[in-house]
Amino acid sequence: MQREEKQLDASLDALLSQVADLKNSLGSFIYKLENEYDRLTWPSVLDSFALLSGQLNTLNKVLKHEKTPLFRNQVIIPLVLSPDRDEDLMRQTEGRVPVFSHEVVPDHLRTKPDPEVEEQEKQLTTDAARIGADAAQKQIQSLNKMCSNLLEKISKEERESESGGLRPNKQTFNPADTNALVAAVAFGKGLSNWRPSGSSGPGQPGQPGAGTILSGASGLQQVQMAGAPSQQQPMLSGVQMAQAGQPGKMPSGIKTNIKSASMHPYQR
Amino acid sequence: MEAPPVTMMPVTGGTINMMEYLLQGSVLDHSLESLIHRLRGLCDNMEPETFLDHEMVFLLKGQQASPFVLRARRSMDRTGAPWHLRYLGQPEMGDKNRHALVRNCVDIATSENLTDFLMEMGFRMDHEFVAKGHLFRKGIMKIVVYKIFRILVPGNTDSTEALSLSYLVELSVVAPAGQDMVSDDMRNFAEQLKPLVHLEKIDPKRLM
Repeated sequence: MQREEKQLDASLDALLSQVADLKNSLGSFIYKLENEYDRLTWPSVLDSFALLSGQLNTLNKVLKHEKTPLFRNQVIIPLVLSPDRDEDLMRQTEGRVPVFSHEVVPDHLRTKPDPEVEEQEKQLTTDAARIGADAAQKQIQSLNKMCSNLLEKISKEERESESGGLRPNKQTFNPADTNALVAAVAFGKGLSNWRPSGSSGPGQPGQPGAGTILSGASGLQQVQMAGAPSQQQPMLSGVQMAQAGQPGKMPSGIKTNIKSASMHPYQR
Repeated sequence: MEAPPVTMMPVTGGTINMMEYLLQGSVLDHSLESLIHRLRGLCDNMEPETFLDHEMVFLLKGQQASPFVLRARRSMDRTGAPWHLRYLGQPEMGDKNRHALVRNCVDIATSENLTDFLMEMGFRMDHEFVAKGHLFRKGIMKIVVYKIFRILVPGNTDSTEALSLSYLVELSVVAPAGQDMVSDDMRNFAEQLKPLVHLEKIDPKRLM
């Protein structure tokens, strides 16, 4: 008997604290809704709901706890009803119930639900009984399956959108640009205005006194300046030597010019 | 005229057998700031260094089909800095385990009459460009983020236009031949710059 009483007291205390927390969070939520409704954001409302649901969960857990006796078996009977103000009661109920009279008691000590609610509950139980145990089980399973599918889809979407959402927004590099820049640094693609690509021969109109004719062959073309001033000769001598050794390799159109120059490499 | 692949040869000494390990990528102009911030956080703590360089590439056409390429670079914003002459060999491709582009590299500082000297030797200027950007270091790794400007009037470095709307990002290490673990370190660093920039080894021959 003692043990049961102790258990009852303990569980009542736990229940009381849980209910007090729930009341507080409900009160703050209502305050938020009433006073800050123009600044309220959906995540904040969700937070409040989450808090409430968490607290309801703990309340349920406390009630289901093995140490709590079945409250159903306890009965509360009012012993004395008086229309006078009761200070103790006021203190305990934080000023909400000043008088323990016959008006207050039916509301506070009620155990039966409202008539409409009772009607609905009866309706639901008859419906549930009508379906039958197997069908009910099947319905439960399909509901569970659909819920898990939905959860999976949502979590997948969330994961994908996190990485995918960043990519189109923040394109930080362009592979085509990478290739263009590397080609420019490696062999000058796109850097010279007077040449389509870097693979053809050099063209240097800016070179002093050279006046070369552009072609695919090379700077050996400068040999055409046979009548040029002599200071060019030392510069081209190396080139001419190589060329004198292999006249057959020159393109035919320039052969005549080159022959006249290479005959006398060091004469004016 | 091209040196044979140096990684096969024993390392006999000094400065000639240096290899450049390279990873390249690019970043669009609007994302440059975030890249700079990230690099400032990742790299060695130093004052952010900007540079403005004018690079000229010289070719010497010999009897062989492939010309000999030398790169001359001068600083346009630092007076008194020496000119920089660089030879880069053909990249050694084919090794899938190597994560970076590897090529033989010879770097020399020269005086200001470099272009005259090269002309006298028979080199002809192939192309030139202006590079403007930022330089970061992390240990032996050098990270350069720069924009390439095309020179409209040859010889006149004031009339330039940007080549593209992106900055080129290069991660490079110059190390003696044979140290391939360097490319692993480079790859780890490159991972930290994703997804802003994708640094990878790009074969220039593919882009010809």
